[in-house]
Amino acid sequence: MGFSRYVLRRLGYAVIVLFVIMTFNFAIFRLMPGDATKMIIDPMFTPEAIAELKRQFGLDDPPIVQYLKYVGNLLKFDLGLSFSTRRPVVNELKERLPNTAVLFLTSFIFTTIIGISVGVYTASKRGTFGDNFVTGAGLFTYAVPTFWIQLLLLMLFGYYIPILPIHGTMSAPPPDGFLLQALDRIHHLILPAGSNVIVAFGSWALYTRNTMLEALGQDYILTARAKGLPETTVLRHHALRSVLPPIITLIFGALPGMVSGAVITETIFSWHGVGKYLMDAVMQQDYPAAQGAFYLIALAVVICNLAADIVYGIVDPRIRVGEGGAK
Amino acid sequence: MALLEVRDLKMYYKTLRGHVKAVDSVSFDIERGEALGIAGESGCGKSSMANTVLRLLPSNGKIHGGSITLDGVEILKLDDETFRESIRWKKISMVFQGAMNALNPVHRIGDQIVEAILTHEDIPHAEAVERTEQLLDMVGINPKRFKEYPHEFSGGMKQRVVIAMALACNPDVIVADEPTTALDVMVQSQVLKAMEDLRKRLDLSMMLITHDLSVIAQTCDKIAIMYAGKIVEYGSVIDVYENPTHPYGMGLVKAFPNIKAERTRVRSLPGFPPNLLAPPEGCRFHPRCPLADRTCMEEEPRLIEIGSNSHKVACHKVDMLERGVDIWEQ
Repeated sequence: MGFSRYVLRRLGYAVIVLFVIMTFNFAIFRLMPGDATKMIIDPMFTPEAIAELKRQFGLDDPPIVQYLKYVGNLLKFDLGLSFSTRRPVVNELKERLPNTAVLFLTSFIFTTIIGISVGVYTASKRGTFGDNFVTGAGLFTYAVPTFWIQLLLLMLFGYYIPILPIHGTMSAPPPDGFLLQALDRIHHLILPAGSNVIVAFGSWALYTRNTMLEALGQDYILTARAKGLPETTVLRHHALRSVLPPIITLIFGALPGMVSGAVITETIFSWHGVGKYLMDAVMQQDYPAAQGAFYLIALAVVICNLAADIVYGIVDPRIRVGEGGAK
Repeated sequence: MALLEVRDLKMYYKTLRGHVKAVDSVSFDIERGEALGIAGESGCGKSSMANTVLRLLPSNGKIHGGSITLDGVEILKLDDETFRESIRWKKISMVFQGAMNALNPVHRIGDQIVEAILTHEDIPHAEAVERTEQLLDMVGINPKRFKEYPHEFSGGMKQRVVIAMALACNPDVIVADEPTTALDVMVQSQVLKAMEDLRKRLDLSMMLITHDLSVIAQTCDKIAIMYAGKIVEYGSVIDVYENPTHPYGMGLVKAFPNIKAERTRVRSLPGFPPNLLAPPEGCRFHPRCPLADRTCMEEEPRLIEIGSNSHKVACHKVDMLERGVDIWEQ
């Protein structure tokens, strides 16, 4: 049983999970209280008009047929028409996905870099003031609710010290020129992405710190020091490298949470992305839109999990060989 | 002048309850090509001493005096950076319990040796690889296994890799801390033999730390017996094994069965080693010693030479012991 078979098996699990999510996604919105058809069907319409509308949206079929059509359409990436805008949900998501991706990737990259660096730093300075301070701060931001910190930051940098825009992905009339536009977007990105980093770096820093401290007590670290390696090499090449597998698992394991956290972040900062789209769709009982956004987020979560499994197999040679049997 | 001269070395660990005197005024010499075994119970400070020589101390371990001279250079006075670059591994390397966890599990064994070479020598990578392959071959490991990871080796083979690594920079002295402890007896004897051959061939000095007297008998020229942070008996292996003189040394040697001799009961030493936070006044062995009297409780004995051959003993009762009193025969 080789590495490729390990990957294939994980892929199989991912497909099964996606199928289950798909089914739940179909059922949940139909079980929700309230009748969505009221959003688009005025009781004053003639019965013919109502029947025509229902036919257009496919609501006159029995549930099982609706389900089969739904699955068939999903496989073709056809997510139906939004009840509220009457536009294909796919097109609306396509518009918003880049915004979400930018926010997500920025948050993710900075959280990883800052979290792991802080963890390595505090582990190497264990017991000093710097260690205690940073560890305490990380623990605090990790413990308090995300939205609370985000609202505080919003108040601080949007109101008391108004240096950062408080909503949107760019200024209303965007400035001219590519460079200015890019800067304007970055300006808008600072607060949402920054708040995500502040909230998330703590858990990664603490986790890195703890696994690093454990690794630093290992015999092979003594060997590395005895070899006369510089301390930075000992820390990075020996201690950090050997604890990367669990840290990477944690990072990828945290990805789904960050993806779904986008709903809160995007709502608070009025970020024009998939998360806010989902929130708006749910509020307006816009089934197709909500289903589409929900499905996209679920897809992202499943892909992240799959990536975590595969990366784990790559970084830890012991797992690779374990799967492949002894050479 | 000896290659490695340790004089009056003191290393204490600072704890909340005071200083733990793990190494307390220890002196010894190792000549070029000579092997010194350091024996003692768990917690007597022998590993602390090995780590002190390479300055591999935890943050609470401090050297409180003494000197270590290597080839005429006082290495305790070197600053950390110079020490790391010019002494560690280049002059003094270490063999750890490789069977356990001395090799990093996520790096290929070859790379770990290459890394040691490249840290100290400015040579092309390919040359370091070539030398690593020669080293592996020298300790009896197929150089083709360069790219394998530690978990793909058995305990004895890992230990050979660790030995190859210790030889990577042609050191003057090898400090071996319990090099064979986790290995079974057959593998242990193979590894010891390999070490012994290499040491003779390369004219290396060695400081071997172990609680196993048979390992010292097999590989060393001299032996130092440590008790509670101090050396209590020192001399050639033959002198100390055939004529142990310090009550503790005597007890230690008697605690070891000799399969060729007449069948006797193995003696065990009554009592426990002292707490190094507050070691006993005077001779540290006096609470366990059947000969202890008032002097032993008050005055610390010095290491004094008895007979010839620089056999030294730290005991007030040397005269009596030299007459051959068998104190553990009850």
